[in-house]
Amino acid sequence: MRCEEARQLFDAYLDGELSPSLATELGVHRVRCAECRRSLALLEVSGHIISSDRDPVAVPDDFSERLLACVDVREHGWVAKVRRTLYFVGPLAAAAVIAMAFLGFFDRGRDSRVAGVKVEPTHVEAGAPRPNASAPYDREAADRAIDQWIGQMQANRADKAQTGESTPKPPDLTILQILEMLKDANEGGPELHHFPGADLNELFGPPDEHPVDDEDVEDL
Amino acid sequence: MNVTQREATTSREREVQLIGRARGGDRIALRELVDLHKDRLFAFIWRMVRDHHEAEDICQDAFLKAFASLDTFSTEYRFSTWLFTIGYRVCLNRLRRKRPFSGDLDFSAMAAEGGASPSATLESEEAGRVRASIWSAVDRLSPPQRATILLFYRNDFGCQEIARVLQLPLATVKSHLHRARARLRELLEALPDQDWSNFRNLSERAG
Ligand SMILES: [Zn+2]
Repeated sequence: MRCEEARQLFDAYLDGELSPSLATELGVHRVRCAECRRSLALLEVSGHIISSDRDPVAVPDDFSERLLACVDVREHGWVAKVRRTLYFVGPLAAAAVIAMAFLGFFDRGRDSRVAGVKVEPTHVEAGAPRPNASAPYDREAADRAIDQWIGQMQANRADKAQTGESTPKPPDLTILQILEMLKDANEGGPELHHFPGADLNELFGPPDEHPVDDEDVEDL
Repeated sequence: MNVTQREATTSREREVQLIGRARGGDRIALRELVDLHKDRLFAFIWRMVRDHHEAEDICQDAFLKAFASLDTFSTEYRFSTWLFTIGYRVCLNRLRRKRPFSGDLDFSAMAAEGGASPSATLESEEAGRVRASIWSAVDRLSPPQRATILLFYRNDFGCQEIARVLQLPLATVKSHLHRARARLRELLEALPDQDWSNFRNLSERAG
């Protein structure tokens, strides 16, 4: 086994996903090759330290008290947020909510209830922009875009190494386009990690206000 | 069903109960949810932003946002996953406004970190430097890579759960893990040679 091949197996080895025969081959290479031995040791120890080192800071003792004190203070803010969620449910739900409110359903335990999060009758925002949930999931296109982007980054780095000049980053437009594709792919694909019901966009605003994935941050 | 599985089931049932009670306005249940998760969430956020006050602020914000969405949260998922998802997103929003790190690793300046050693082998000055260097290298990862490494190693999250927290496809998370390790290796290979004896000793214990 050559070093290059060995290195490609490091991740699978560290995650315990290597087949017994490959694990043995890697083990043999490791014994013979000081370079790979050093690299693997470094990764193993890093994992060990990251897993087990204690944090030098701790959450303050009165954190829970202070947090729960905020619950009452922010009650109305929460109601406002819950209102926004209702446009997803539609006018029917709003009507049901209003009917329930008339029946006094929401007055129970008002003092202690978390922010009355259950509800308040509200208007429904018609025509609000919705994520394109029906967009077909095109995993291959997303993968191609990522590969293209990575290729571009590598080409830029190679240019930089050759010319010794500072390399311009890949155009923002390209990155944005890729992120957009990833977002689209996320909307309907089999590897969707959205939480049904609880929508991050309800808490943070539309997705284009925050980075979904920013591989480039370390280079900024 | 073994003991660990039974414990996990019990704690899941307990969590679902707590969420049910919290939705009904039970402040004791809310308090319990906070107490159950605050330490791990705070530690994760602190490792992401590296500022005590900001971490506290983000942690509080994450809990409040999670509570605000309790009604729509599906108990089919672990509450911690949802909480970390929100916490991570708040971190990202804050990090975007901050200037990222620049320059090379300063090994000498970081030796003080991680003074609470988990094992006697880490007591030497060199070992302290190694540990500080590892954390400093973690600090230099991009936010998604850093979050992936922290959740994977420190919080025992599987890649699937990390994918939920980061709201990314599973393949992207695996790629983050792979690249994060490659980057750590690259950064740490700059360590002075004498510190490698510590790596080798520790490696035998870690392995
Ligand atoms: Zn080798």
